[in-house]
Amino acid sequence: MQTVIPTTSKAIISLLRADLTTQWRNRRAVVLIVLVPVIILASWKGLVVKLGGAFVLSNCITIGLTAIGLMGYSNSIARDRDKGVFQRLRVAPVSSWSIMFSRLAVQLAMILIVTLAVFFAGFYIDKITVTPAGYIMAVGAAIAGGALYLSIGQVIVGLIKNPETVNSTCRLVYFAFIMVGMFGELGMLGDEVTKIVRWSPYGVVRHIVSSSLRPDLWSMDDTISLLLTFGYTAVFATLGIKWFKWSSK
Amino acid sequence: MTSEQVSSGASVPRRVQLSESKFAGSLVPLQFSRIVSGRYNTEKKQTPTFTSIIPFLPPSTSTMDTNNTEPILKVTGLNVFYGSFQAVKDVGFEVRAGEIFGLLGPNGAGKTSTLSAVEGLLVPQSGTILVAGINNKEKPLHARANMGVQLQSTSFQPELYVGEIIRLFAGIHAIEMSDDKLRSILSAINLSDAEKKKFGTLSGGQQQRVSLAIALLHDPQLVILDEPTTGLDPQSRRQLWERMEQLRTNGHAILLTTHSMEEAEAVCDRIAIIDHGRVITTDTPQALIDKHRNDPEVIAASRKGKITLEDVFIGLTGKSIRS
Repeated sequence: MQTVIPTTSKAIISLLRADLTTQWRNRRAVVLIVLVPVIILASWKGLVVKLGGAFVLSNCITIGLTAIGLMGYSNSIARDRDKGVFQRLRVAPVSSWSIMFSRLAVQLAMILIVTLAVFFAGFYIDKITVTPAGYIMAVGAAIAGGALYLSIGQVIVGLIKNPETVNSTCRLVYFAFIMVGMFGELGMLGDEVTKIVRWSPYGVVRHIVSSSLRPDLWSMDDTISLLLTFGYTAVFATLGIKWFKWSSK
Repeated sequence: MTSEQVSSGASVPRRVQLSESKFAGSLVPLQFSRIVSGRYNTEKKQTPTFTSIIPFLPPSTSTMDTNNTEPILKVTGLNVFYGSFQAVKDVGFEVRAGEIFGLLGPNGAGKTSTLSAVEGLLVPQSGTILVAGINNKEKPLHARANMGVQLQSTSFQPELYVGEIIRLFAGIHAIEMSDDKLRSILSAINLSDAEKKKFGTLSGGQQQRVSLAIALLHDPQLVILDEPTTGLDPQSRRQLWERMEQLRTNGHAILLTTHSMEEAEAVCDRIAIIDHGRVITTDTPQALIDKHRNDPEVIAASRKGKITLEDVFIGLTGKSIRS
C-alpha cells in the first residue's frame, strides 16, 4: 500500500495561490494600506526640502510596514484561526510551517507593493530620486523592517485569541506607533521621547530604510539599527510563535 | 433489504450491506466517492485498493505494508493532559475497514481531545495512534494523507469560491484537478452551480456536502466525521447517513462522533462511550442495549418503557448536565 503526500513545493504553490487570491479579493484593505503612506507623503510635500527626501520616504514606508504587520497580517491570522481555516488545513498532509510560509510570502508581496508605491509617489509627487543602489537597498531594508512588524503582529495574535480584540489592539498599537514614532522623531514630544523613539522598533526601521536610500552615508549607527531590527524580530518572532495557538477554542 | 445487525458478538460486526438500488433515488451522493477517486462507472469492489485507483502519478510515495486484517485506525493507551488536568485516560479502540465506529460521550468527556489526537491537532502525552499502519507521531503527514476529516466547525477562507477551495485541497493532496473533474465532483454533490459561489453563501447542508467532498478528495482509508449532522435538516441528515453507509460499503473505515443517539443507533456498527476521559464501554448498539437494559440507572432513564441507546447512554454517563 502506498501513501501519497504532495511535495512541499506543490503544497506551498497551492496554499500560495489560495492566499494570494484571498488577498486580491481583499483589495479594499490592500488599497487602504497603500493609500495611507501615499497620502502622508503628499501632505508632507513641504518637508522634503526641509528634512530631505530620504526622511520623508522612509517615514512613509515605515508607516506602510506598520500597517501590514499590525493591521493586515495579524487580523487575517486571527480571523482564519477563529473560523477554523487553519485547523482544516492542519488535518491535511501539509506541514504547519508551509501554511505560515505561504501567509508570510503574501505579506512579503505586500511589503514590496507598499515600498514601490511610496517610491513612485515620491518620484511623481515630490520629485524624489534615489540611486538604483539606494532603491535596491531600501527594498531590502523594507523587507527587514516588515519582518519586524510582522513579528509584532505575531506576538499580538499569540497573546490574544479573540479576533475582535486582536483587531482593536492592533489599531491601538498601530496608532501609538504612528503618532509617537512620527511626531517623536520630529522632536514634537520632547527630547526624551525622541531618544526613545530613535531606538524603538519604529525608529530603527525608519533609520535603516532612510540610510539605505543613501547607501554612501551608511554609518555605525545604522548598522546598530539594523542589528537591533534583527534582534527585535528574533525576540518578537520567538515569543509570537511560542505563544501562538492554532485554534482560538 | 435490511440494515439490521447480523452480528453482535465481540468480533467486528458487519451490517448487511445496503445495495445501491435502495438509494436509486439518490444516486448522486452514492456515486460521489467513486468520481473523486476515478472509479466512476467501474465495478463495485468489496475491498478497494486505494492507491491503484488514484488517478494521478504520486510525486512522493512511501511503501506501506498494510495488512487487510489490521485495523485502519488503532488507538492504544492514549493519554492527553491540559496542564495538570487529564482529559483522556488510557483510551484505546480500533476501527476496521468497512466499519462505522461511533465515539459518544457527553460534553467534556474527552471525545474532542481523542479526535484531535487522532487528527494530529494535538500531541498526546503518551499512547500510540496508527492510521493505516502508520504511526501518526513518527510520520504525521503520511498518517494524515490516509485520513479524510470533516471537522465540526470547519470553515474555509470566506473570500474563496467553492471551486477554488476544492482546487486548494486537491493541490495539498497532490491530486490533478481538471475542470471536468471539478465539475463532476460538484455535480455529484448536487452543487453544479456552486463553483463560483463563496463557501459562506451556501446553506448548512450544502456546506456540509462540500466539506465532505473535500474530505474524500483523496479517497482516504479512514474518514473522520466530527458531529457531521449538527444543524442539518432531516433530509440532509438522511442523505449524509446514506453517504456514510456507501463509504462503508466501499471499504472505508469511518470514525464518527455525534450527540444524536438516533444517528449512532442508525448508522454505527460499533460504539464506544467515553466519559471522564475513559472509554467505559464498547460494543454494537444493540449489544449495549441488551447488556444494560436491566441496569437500574438505565431503567430510570427510560421514558417510554422501551430501552433505547439514549437510555443506556444516560444510564452510563449520568443525568447531570456537563459544562
